[in-house]
Amino acid sequence: MAEPMIDIRDLTKTYPIKRNLKDLIGGVRHEVKALDGINLTIEKGEILGLAGESGSGKTTTGEILVRLQDATSGGITVDGHPIGLKGKHDRKRFRKDVQMIFQDPYETLNPRFNVYDTIAEPLRIHGLKDKHVMYDKVIEALEIAELRPAEQFIYRFPHELSGGQRQRVAIARGIVLEPKVLVADEPVSMLDVSIRADILNLLKQLRDKFSLTMLYVSHDLSTIKYLCDRIAIMYLGKILEIGPVNDVVADPQHPYTQVLLASVPVADPDHVKERIMVDDEVPDQIHLPQGCRFGPRCPYFKPECLECDHTLRMVSDNHRHACVFAKDELIRNDVPKPVEVEEKPL
Amino acid sequence: MDKLLEVKNVSIEYKTEAGIMRAVDDVSFSLDVGESMGLVGESGCGKTTLAKSIMRLLAKNGKVSSGEIIFKGEDLVKKTDEQIRKLRLNDIAMVSQSAMNALNPVHTVGKQLIEGIQAHTKMSKDEARRRAAEVFKMVGLEEKRLKSYPHQMSGGMKQRAIIAMALSLNPSLIIADEPTTALDVVVQDHILQQIIELQKAISSSMILITHDISVVSETCETIIVMYGGKIMEQAPTKVFFKAPVHPYSLGLNNAFPSITEIGEILISIPGTPPNLLEAQRGCRFSERCPFATGKCETEEPKLEFVDENHTSACHYNDQVERFREESAKPEVWAKVSNRIFERRKEGAS
Repeated sequence: MAEPMIDIRDLTKTYPIKRNLKDLIGGVRHEVKALDGINLTIEKGEILGLAGESGSGKTTTGEILVRLQDATSGGITVDGHPIGLKGKHDRKRFRKDVQMIFQDPYETLNPRFNVYDTIAEPLRIHGLKDKHVMYDKVIEALEIAELRPAEQFIYRFPHELSGGQRQRVAIARGIVLEPKVLVADEPVSMLDVSIRADILNLLKQLRDKFSLTMLYVSHDLSTIKYLCDRIAIMYLGKILEIGPVNDVVADPQHPYTQVLLASVPVADPDHVKERIMVDDEVPDQIHLPQGCRFGPRCPYFKPECLECDHTLRMVSDNHRHACVFAKDELIRNDVPKPVEVEEKPL
Repeated sequence: MDKLLEVKNVSIEYKTEAGIMRAVDDVSFSLDVGESMGLVGESGCGKTTLAKSIMRLLAKNGKVSSGEIIFKGEDLVKKTDEQIRKLRLNDIAMVSQSAMNALNPVHTVGKQLIEGIQAHTKMSKDEARRRAAEVFKMVGLEEKRLKSYPHQMSGGMKQRAIIAMALSLNPSLIIADEPTTALDVVVQDHILQQIIELQKAISSSMILITHDISVVSETCETIIVMYGGKIMEQAPTKVFFKAPVHPYSLGLNNAFPSITEIGEILISIPGTPPNLLEAQRGCRFSERCPFATGKCETEEPKLEFVDENHTSACHYNDQVERFREESAKPEVWAKVSNRIFERRKEGAS
């Protein structure tokens, strides 16, 4: 197989925590492990979805990939080049290769820049001086982002655009440098349902036309299922399951994936939900549980789980999960009691 | 069944610098005792405005310009502010979108809850505390959490505390405005489940406002689809998700990704919602509707019955079979996209 476009090896990110006096005297050092030894590869032209609840480390992974944050340890190569290079020249080349689209199109566009300036800025930074070429490139990027007729939009300011149009401007800005990799962090969660589909279809097209490689970070499993080729489920800084999206959705292996998928609302009144009741609270990230991180919430918890080191086991070629048990070995513990509801009129 | 709430021909206007904006235009619906209703639509369709008007929580520049809101036989629009204040929490409670951020950070959650109960009843502090502990238990929070400050609780716990607050006086109507949008999917599922169970247990009615139609499918008995300040379709949930009638509802269904379907194609609705600052002519959805005719652009359709309990505001309700078939094709919606593109061009030149 050809070399993957993105290769993430043993990526770790820890944040130090302010120490109080007691810790200082005791010499205790606490830290938050946001990412704990993540391994991922993304092939050229593939869309990988990163899913998980808040605090799972999905956004951190995306931000390290575009170098908005530095990793504590581990390495990432993009198209064969390791990132994390110090030189200015390398950083510039890296920016040309990897671009990002953010969640909130209301905040990521400069309100004083019109659409033309917003999209032309990266071109200027990367040394394009010819005004005619620049104009053509901006128009082309807008056309690709389906903001048509492009000539009508270029002199508008962000406040004159709708949410969907803004996100298209952000996408146009992201692709104008013809990057190899696009990282999209919740790009549709702020948009109305009726336009979400358009943005998702647009991202799909970008992949098909330019074989752009994408990392799509989202908590919304339905959009991941629609857009992505593969999905990685994260929980407290670890990958718990990874595989082709249809396989994972149709036959989730890890108990956490099962819980997550069972919680997604379905717009079909006949759909019978098999709810798996778990505790809502995610353990705090400083005092992580021993063994499997999902252990304290897991309905199938067994003593063996304390030994779990989250090594990924194969289910099939590409489908792997980090549970110490295979799916058919899972035995349910006592089902937690549902909340008692009593009627007590005042 | 008895009607708890009747909204009759309500219009709500906001005074803005750019002129008067009619956010809700001549809307009528009714809610039975014990019924749960989902109100869905895009942002700016008037769903939150409508709900807030019931509790008279509109922004200062907004007011109900005409119509009646009959709650338990009395018109809320005509009541004084003091009468409405007494009604809140006691009879009508609201769980709003960012409610968990509305908790006062310098008081314990319990204090805020007890304060609310005491303000609306004659209970002593001890009785109020007992009631608070009771409702906390109902939403699955431990009693000791009453002593927590908001920053010591997670988002899900805060939202639960807010729901406990809303339920503390057994209101006959709960208005929940996007109660779970900011929460993780597992927590969202639990809380929705709980809201429904509790609503049934204290036999109150509920209006659930959301943009997520799948949430309505799982929680509500009826659904109202709003667009541009108008009701487009109202139906029992079971009927709606199998056989929607209005072209806008058909479009919404197409645009919604489902976790259970493999290989689906999503089609979004081209265009943007109407600008309600401008006077509206004809059907508000006509600009984005693939089946719009000349009639749709000039004549406003009324809500008409297509079945028992099922209404739709379209001139061509009788052609729904054809619409359903056609609306599943991406090229049908692409035509709308081109139409909007042509109009934009014309507008420019």
